[in-house]
Amino acid sequence: MSPRPHDPRDHPVNGPVDVCGHEVKTEGTTLPTLPGNAHVYDSAVTASRTLWGDAWRRLRKNKLAITGLVWIMIVVTMTLTADLWVPLFFADPIAVNTEPGASLQSPSWEHPFGTDKLGRDVFSRVIYGARVSLAVGVLAVSISLVIGLLLGALSGYRGGAVDTFVMRTADVFFAFPYILFAIALIAVLGPSYRNVFIAIGILGWPSIARVFRSSILSVKENEYIDAARAMGASDFRIMFRHVMPNAIAPIIVYGTMSVGGAIITEAALSFLGMGVQPPTPSWGLMLSDAKSLMFVAPWLTIWPGFAILTTVLAFVLLGDGFRDALDVKMKD
Amino acid sequence: MPPLLQVKGLATHFTTRDGIVKAVDGVSFTLEAGKTLGVVGESGSGKSVTALSIMRLVQEPQGRIVHGEVLFKGEDVVKMNDAKVRALRGDRIAMIFQDPMTSLNPVYRVGRQIGESLMLHKGMSKSEAFERTVELLDMVGIPHARERAKDYPHQFSGGMRQRAMIAMALACDPDILIADEPTTALDVTIQAQILELMIEMQDRTGAAIIMITHDLGVVADMADDVMVMYAGKQVEYGTADDVFYRPRHPYTWGLLASLPRHDVDEKACLNPIAGQPPSLINVPPGCAFHPRCVHARPECSVEVPELLSAGSTHVAACPYSAGLTPEACGVLAGRGDAR
Repeated sequence: MSPRPHDPRDHPVNGPVDVCGHEVKTEGTTLPTLPGNAHVYDSAVTASRTLWGDAWRRLRKNKLAITGLVWIMIVVTMTLTADLWVPLFFADPIAVNTEPGASLQSPSWEHPFGTDKLGRDVFSRVIYGARVSLAVGVLAVSISLVIGLLLGALSGYRGGAVDTFVMRTADVFFAFPYILFAIALIAVLGPSYRNVFIAIGILGWPSIARVFRSSILSVKENEYIDAARAMGASDFRIMFRHVMPNAIAPIIVYGTMSVGGAIITEAALSFLGMGVQPPTPSWGLMLSDAKSLMFVAPWLTIWPGFAILTTVLAFVLLGDGFRDALDVKMKD
Repeated sequence: MPPLLQVKGLATHFTTRDGIVKAVDGVSFTLEAGKTLGVVGESGSGKSVTALSIMRLVQEPQGRIVHGEVLFKGEDVVKMNDAKVRALRGDRIAMIFQDPMTSLNPVYRVGRQIGESLMLHKGMSKSEAFERTVELLDMVGIPHARERAKDYPHQFSGGMRQRAMIAMALACDPDILIADEPTTALDVTIQAQILELMIEMQDRTGAAIIMITHDLGVVADMADDVMVMYAGKQVEYGTADDVFYRPRHPYTWGLLASLPRHDVDEKACLNPIAGQPPSLINVPPGCAFHPRCVHARPECSVEVPELLSAGSTHVAACPYSAGLTPEACGVLAGRGDAR
């Protein structure tokens, strides 16, 4: 750590201080006295007192990350409340409309995003498709996190043979082409909404385990871990109270970005017919259906594509923002 | 009644890819309640590993205490089960680390970290521990202790962090305080403050201190007894007066001669001990110090010197030093000039 300039906190005095820490005589101009035990420095130097508070303050200043967060919140809110308002204004996302002229309508007030070749409303399909995407994203990453954190922690903290075994297993997972492995898994499990997130979740753990392991390894070397051991803390306590909280930041970043990755994988799998099955709306499935009609009815590809792009980008931006916000060393 | 701490023939070895590192190889000393033992030596001489071995903090399985006893109030720490050792650590034997910048956990408030050992060992509630923490912080001279206890480590300066570390070590009123180069990472004025604080705290709590340092000045200020280590071995051990005024090992002479002095011309060269400390994997045969010793004889590379009595409270591991005079330091100094 670089030597920092003189900090008046080191020698708190009651009156105002100049740069050298000497008390300044204030004649005429009396500074407002702070009540009780409050010191001169508290209000001036640092308002926030918690690490998470600090992180949130830094995140708030990051416009891109906040844009991502706001977009995610909009998508989540729209998706969760879809049952309340979509049926009131728009057609059912699944109901096929066989009336003449109902299919492939271009965007209008009635169908803001147009209709597809079966006459279904694209707008409500995009909204309901977000359910699948977000659910798969969050559930898949949750599975990866549970497996990855457990194995990563074991590997990093225990070391030795356990470490070797876990890491070589992870290498085996890495050795397979990702999408092919996912397709193979789903071929075994059978294509369904549930199996998509199980497959993505299972495939995601090695990266999480690796990131967490390396993070633990570097945290473990810190003197405060030795200090905790010298204080008489048990292995369990050191692991959960001292190592974990310091090692978790990269996981928050990686996990957030992984949600975006899982959404893309879900879209890709659905596009290939290995994911969510029709008629359930899914962004990838919508793209797949629309690919032959791209030039006839561009809205069929534009809107699900836009939804995937913005949502994934939002998660990546938010993850990036977390990375900056959680870096304790980055003082603003 | 057995002495507070008695270390007998302690040997801690590390297994590495290149061979066995004998980091500590046969160290014995006794520490009485309220006394201070200074442990000096170059980097890599085994000072820190000795301290870690006493608390059984050496990382297994690479490092192992292969021999010896560490008797705390007559009970052997080496043979204790894990739970018992944990109960000892932080409660009866506490440790202060070298770098205060990294020895506090950045994600917890300072007060909470100090309180942790109180809750762990004394079974205090959160609020009781907090009250005691405030007292402790106040005792080690942190102003506005109640407010500062709620700060995070990065809001503390280096000197204040080391004060907080001392408060943390003293929290449970330990019998022994091991300080592993507690002032090395601090600037000179803060060093003096921290040492003063430690002496004051010792007067107040009656804790025995093991002071590990390579600063002989620190030892001269604080220590009752001094142990000089070289290449994992104890080369001289005695009261501070013995070691400073009647040193009996050429290595100690070299250390003393290498100190910068106020009373000679400021342009005078420092008198370092020529050469480098040996690698602990290939310790020279015989006396480990002989390649650097100006008094070395052919026998020195054959026989491993034993600790020989040099007075009732004084031992040194050099069989020939009795015939030599400490003035011979001058010869050593001459070599330093000739570089």
